[in-house]
Amino acid sequence: MTRYLRLIRIFTGATISAQLEYRANFLGAVLASLGEVGVALLGIAVLFGQPGTVSVGGYSFHQALLVVGFFMLTEGFISVFVQPNMSKIAEAVRTGSMDFTLLKPIDAQFNVSTRNLNVLRVTDILIGLGLIVYAASFLTVTVGGVGVAAVMYLSALVIVYCIWLALSTTAFWFVKTQNMSELFNGVFGAGRFPVTAFPIPVRAFLTFVVPIAFITTVPAQALTGGLSPLLALASPLVAAVLFVGSRLFWKRAVGSYTSASS
Amino acid sequence: MTPFFRKFRVLFSTQFALMTEYRAEIVIWMLSGTLSLVMMLVWMGQAAAAPGGQIRGFSAGDFASYFLATWFVGQLLVVWVAWELDFEVRQGTLSPKLLRPMDPMWGHYSGHVAEKIVRFPIMLVLVSLFAWLAGARFSLDWRVYLAVLGLVMLGFTVRFLWEYSLGLLAFWTESSTSFQEVVWLVYAALGGLFAPLAFYPQWVQDIAVWTPFPYMLGLPAGLIAGKATLEQAGQGALVLIGWLAVFVVVRLWVWRVGLKKYGAVGA
Repeated sequence: MTRYLRLIRIFTGATISAQLEYRANFLGAVLASLGEVGVALLGIAVLFGQPGTVSVGGYSFHQALLVVGFFMLTEGFISVFVQPNMSKIAEAVRTGSMDFTLLKPIDAQFNVSTRNLNVLRVTDILIGLGLIVYAASFLTVTVGGVGVAAVMYLSALVIVYCIWLALSTTAFWFVKTQNMSELFNGVFGAGRFPVTAFPIPVRAFLTFVVPIAFITTVPAQALTGGLSPLLALASPLVAAVLFVGSRLFWKRAVGSYTSASS
Repeated sequence: MTPFFRKFRVLFSTQFALMTEYRAEIVIWMLSGTLSLVMMLVWMGQAAAAPGGQIRGFSAGDFASYFLATWFVGQLLVVWVAWELDFEVRQGTLSPKLLRPMDPMWGHYSGHVAEKIVRFPIMLVLVSLFAWLAGARFSLDWRVYLAVLGLVMLGFTVRFLWEYSLGLLAFWTESSTSFQEVVWLVYAALGGLFAPLAFYPQWVQDIAVWTPFPYMLGLPAGLIAGKATLEQAGQGALVLIGWLAVFVVVRLWVWRVGLKKYGAVGA
């Protein structure tokens, strides 16, 4: 275990020093973050801007803002920690450099998941946290609520990681998976809004088929104390099932890997 | 003029062959642009919950019609040339294209048009399916669709030119695609991707009427959904033609200045 923690420290140091070589990209990353938060805020601003509208899907403006905050935070988590690693899996399978990863005396899944970071997009995380704190200051939040929300959000992060890992692992068979992540982003866009804002069939889809509801809506509900015990139990359970499932899927994919060319 | 059209025809047929190879990707690209579909579902939910079942005269079915039409029009306006230019300038693959007896812009333009033609039939199937699921109703007047076609062709060309100009900023900066994303946000907001333009505060509408955005996206979508008139389409077309002239000049100017700045990789 200490060995893996030490490796994380080495990986982080290496990836940060590599990125600081390209400091000019920071401006681009900031613009991208602002664009991202702009889309989310405009969406709810127009909805609440209509005369007579006080709630969307039973959420007040500040509660909906809380959902946007969790959306941005997750967006940042994906941009900083998940995507930089997962996008390289397909490349490594295509060129055959996955060989070197598999030969190393550490767990291959650990290696492909932690080797890279995109620190430039840390602005997304900061914006997300800022929005959550700002929105929460208008709502009544208890210490217990914060605790439950933390557990819910931790489960959400595991869910996000597992979905990305599973989608990227298909690279062992399909080679091109960049499109898969595009598709994920398309569906994840629904996470900008509380899941209750959608018609019931869509709500069921976003809860049970692609668990977007657990990623942004459930933590926001937990923070304001409106979470049903059933969902509170379901979230860590879904995370655990996905974690085991994606791990098995990864193992299977690596087992069928035959390297590039001949 | 004839040699030009012959070259363009050859470029177009090669690009068309290329794009038909990518048909599976095209479906995925289409499905990844979901913002208008997400907004549609949220607004439908809002209308259903509102007293009287309407918001500013839009019922749930009206929202479905409007946003599906926006999705349809938005798909025809998709332009990715900024990414291609960013890549070509940084990797130096622009150099061999400069030797050709034609502005490299035409290669990109024909590629975009070819992709739209491949995209169109797939889109019709998806829109019909979604329209049936969401209960949308579209205009039955054939003149409306002629007007939409004209506006979309103008709008697409205007957007292509501004994206091309932004993409050319790659001669100076490595963040040109980020500028593109910020401009996209303005396009999406004023174009009516989040809500019909009439839902915005008055001062936003007053600014929007001077930009090309509402006429390329919101107006054709409104026509299809039966919320705009042919007269408005004529006025919109005039504004778009004005902006077309502006961006033709801007594009040419950025291209000329940028090319002087360009030093191929490895030189």
